[in-house]
Amino acid sequence: MNLRLTSLVAVLGFTSLVGCKKEDAPTGTQTAAASSAAGDKKGGTVTIWWAQWAPADGLQELGNDYEKETGVAVKVHQVPWSSYQDQVFLNFGNKTTAFDIVVGDSQWLGRGATGKLYLDLTDWLPKVVDIKTIHPQALHYLCEYPGGSGHYFAAPGETDAVGFAYRKDWFEDPKEQAAFKAKHKKDLAIPNTWDDLKEIAEFFNRPAQKRYGVALLTGRGYDALVMGFQPFLWDFGGSWGDPATFKVKGMLNTPGAADGLKFMKSLLAFAPANGPNIDYGPSLEAFTSGSTAMAMNYFAFYPKIVKDLGPKAGFFVAPAKGDKRFSSLGGQGMSISAKVSPDQQKLAKDFIAWFLKKETQEKWITKEAGFTANVEILNSDAFKKATPYNEPFSRSMNLLQDFWNVPSYNELLAASVQHLGEALDGVKKPEEALELISTEHERIFKEAGLSK
Amino acid sequence: MKALRITVITLYTILGVLPLLWLILTAFKHHPDTITASAKFIPLPGAEIGGEGLSFAPTIEGFAHLAEPPAGAEFSFLEHLLNSTIIGVLSTLASVALGTSCAYGFSRFRIPGSKDWLFFILSTRFMPPLAVVAPVLIMYRTFDLPNTHLGLIILYTAFNLSLAVWLMKGFIDEIPRAYEESALVDGYSRASAFFRIILPHARTGMAVTAVFCLISAWNEFGFAMTLNNAQAVTVPVYFAGLQGNTNGVPWPQIAAGALLFVLPIVVFTVLVRDHLLRGVTFGTIKQ
Amino acid sequence: MKKEGSFLKLGFVGPTLLFLITLNLFPLFYNIVLSFTDAQLSQNDYNFVGGRNYALIFDTLTSPKYADAIRTTGEFVLIAVTFELLLGFCLALALKAKFSGKPVVLTILLVPMMLSPAVMGLFWNLILNAHNGILNQALGSIGLPTPHWLTEPKLKLIAVLLVDIWMWTPYMMLIALAGLNAIPGYIYEAAEIDRASMWTVFRRITLPMCAPLLFLAVLFRMTDALKQFDLVMALTGPNDASTQTLSALLYQLTFANQKVGLGSAYACVVLVVVIALASVFTRYLDWLAKKQGRLA
Repeated sequence: MNLRLTSLVAVLGFTSLVGCKKEDAPTGTQTAAASSAAGDKKGGTVTIWWAQWAPADGLQELGNDYEKETGVAVKVHQVPWSSYQDQVFLNFGNKTTAFDIVVGDSQWLGRGATGKLYLDLTDWLPKVVDIKTIHPQALHYLCEYPGGSGHYFAAPGETDAVGFAYRKDWFEDPKEQAAFKAKHKKDLAIPNTWDDLKEIAEFFNRPAQKRYGVALLTGRGYDALVMGFQPFLWDFGGSWGDPATFKVKGMLNTPGAADGLKFMKSLLAFAPANGPNIDYGPSLEAFTSGSTAMAMNYFAFYPKIVKDLGPKAGFFVAPAKGDKRFSSLGGQGMSISAKVSPDQQKLAKDFIAWFLKKETQEKWITKEAGFTANVEILNSDAFKKATPYNEPFSRSMNLLQDFWNVPSYNELLAASVQHLGEALDGVKKPEEALELISTEHERIFKEAGLSK
Repeated sequence: MKALRITVITLYTILGVLPLLWLILTAFKHHPDTITASAKFIPLPGAEIGGEGLSFAPTIEGFAHLAEPPAGAEFSFLEHLLNSTIIGVLSTLASVALGTSCAYGFSRFRIPGSKDWLFFILSTRFMPPLAVVAPVLIMYRTFDLPNTHLGLIILYTAFNLSLAVWLMKGFIDEIPRAYEESALVDGYSRASAFFRIILPHARTGMAVTAVFCLISAWNEFGFAMTLNNAQAVTVPVYFAGLQGNTNGVPWPQIAAGALLFVLPIVVFTVLVRDHLLRGVTFGTIKQ
Repeated sequence: MKKEGSFLKLGFVGPTLLFLITLNLFPLFYNIVLSFTDAQLSQNDYNFVGGRNYALIFDTLTSPKYADAIRTTGEFVLIAVTFELLLGFCLALALKAKFSGKPVVLTILLVPMMLSPAVMGLFWNLILNAHNGILNQALGSIGLPTPHWLTEPKLKLIAVLLVDIWMWTPYMMLIALAGLNAIPGYIYEAAEIDRASMWTVFRRITLPMCAPLLFLAVLFRMTDALKQFDLVMALTGPNDASTQTLSALLYQLTFANQKVGLGSAYACVVLVVVIALASVFTRYLDWLAKKQGRLA
């Protein structure tokens, strides 16, 4: 009697306690369909899903402006990067999606397009924006599928690129400068080549004082390791394969690419403790905690650095090897879910059209890491001077290439991340790892019917 | 010999309890104090936040933040706690109700193939959730059940039934048949004998079963993560989602939330202390 | 006693069995159906592709992935259960005697096994952090090496094992204690009269009489450990080669790679193993019950 009564009372008491604390009612037994915003508001609501980071806050602010102008509410729902992909595609399997617009990663284009998950925007997009004003890399990688075909499945949303943040105050410290000059016979400055970067990383690497040289993107959760490896892959002469024939061998498993991987591994000697497995968040943390001299990351993460470190931090473009300088493309396009009602799709289209207007884009760039795809604005002085990271970002836009965006991209990513990880961990030799990736990729393409 | 025994016990108790103590300490720290290079375990009001040394300024900031949703999310920890509670309690009630009646059936009646049925019921517990998640998800989509409370309640009921049936069968087996038989002789129907005689005697058993079903549903992650990832999200899934936070993982909040989440379990563990052995072995081992 | 009508029996047992058949049995059959398709979670319709998925599994048995997952799961189960058994049994031996505060100590020791692996696993990330986690700080302060638990490939599985052993040793201890307490006192007294050495007592009396319950504990723990998913997700993520257990591989295939058909094929193979294990289990339970009945 006692036990049962006590438990029952405890449970009821607990429930009521928790129930009292909450302010708004939870969703209860709402289904996904009901929650896809079919207007509590008079004008309707547009639900947007994006990853959890600063630009999404900026988009919400713009959304609030949109509501003031048109009466249509905009709700930006942020999902942490580590589960963003899984959640979006899981949601796509439901009868309707919880979102009207998804600001999807560039790799998702193929799956969204061929799986009939993204609405085809080919006829509509040129009507609301002048295609010529969209930066060619952004158009190719963020909007078109297949790349260069002129079929659009996403409107330009956020552009992004991989770059570096560095401790400006350490670089400008006269003592450090003198020591560096004495050792390397040249000035301590922003590295131009990867070898320069290596020297600087080694110089600042002082584990005894818990100081480290450089944090690279090596996270295994989603795609951080691939994005971190790509600059090395391309600068050292390799590539993921031929986009026309889907042939991989001879392009990925080359001595040059292996050298690139080896070089990347050698830089890990100057990385913090979790060097071989640093994802986007931890790379940011390694830098903002004040322990690392340089950190590789997407520019869209840099607002937090400016917030935390102010003038102590600076930013630079990814280094080169010889005359080759490439960086990883980032950014997400705005796609409309093919699984919501035509009315919602119209609301979504209206919002995107408003977003793409020049005035809105000019407001967009004033938001933290609001990166536009509009060529004029990207090259304008106003943009370049707006934040400390905009100028190197603007220059990076011309160096960008991307990973595969075919429907089976995730298998390709997962295989790459696994084997590249093994190479970095020392479990496999770099040549072996690249060989394994090449074999896997070609098998995946064959299975998907993309190659013979 | 005695010294050895005491050493072993003390050592293991410390090792076992240390992570929990650390959880408690972390819940009362400021965020910078949770990631310092030197572990801080001395609460000292007024200590420097994020400084060197072993002391930290205690605060209930972690708990306070629990009431706010993290960036870009709609719900705070408290809403998820409510979800866990609703789903846990309702599925437990259902499991215990169904399980008790089913156990009574197997205990008192001769049911053809009962051995096989009991085996089938036990084997459902052995199934890795991930192995059946895909068909369940597809089935659920037909009825719009993903991301609802009802969906998980139904699923947890089904997966706790094995526990409920086996535990309750053990308890009901211990109730002498003489009690019902005298009632039956007096003219009561089987059903009313069940309600009037068996249930009161099985009270303790039902409470114990309820506790274990609740704990199982409370802690569950595999199904919760795959079926309810956008709405009606439970606490373990919410915590897992905080891992990728670009503002740095909010350790004080996680610790504070974990404490609140774990507290009912600890309370229940103490309450059913005498029946723990039975509960964790499906009623097959009785003290 | 009057014969019970089938309707009555059905009334008691039926709803439960219906529930279980719908939600446990039906998905199994559906899994078999799905394993012959190319279904994806983001799509609503699928095509039948014959035995292609099964061919892929057995083809990839020559290339590592599935074999690795089996091996990783097997290693995990073996090492975890062995350590939990040994530690738990030693603890039970130590705790067998009465001492003041025993109930309190026991209850405290049993808390870890009641906690949510997903939540505690997440917190253990902080403890195991190579840079500022307290484990490394403690090790460092007494001069031991401070390895990178969550980044070095060989150590990742050990990290998962560490947390699992921390959580589940109390379970083995609880059952071992029950086994030890079940040994009647007079046997020990008889051994004392015969002046048997401690080691002989242990070897000839304690161990054999505990063995049945210990074996049961091992079986229970094994079936749970085979499902290992929560800790792997919390500590290393599902796509990490060194800790990819079967459940993690299933997650990666079905949800990340969107290959429900292939995932279902793997799942079917896993389920065959599970059913085999379950029958061993119940057969053992039966034998145990009969044996206990004989002794009583």
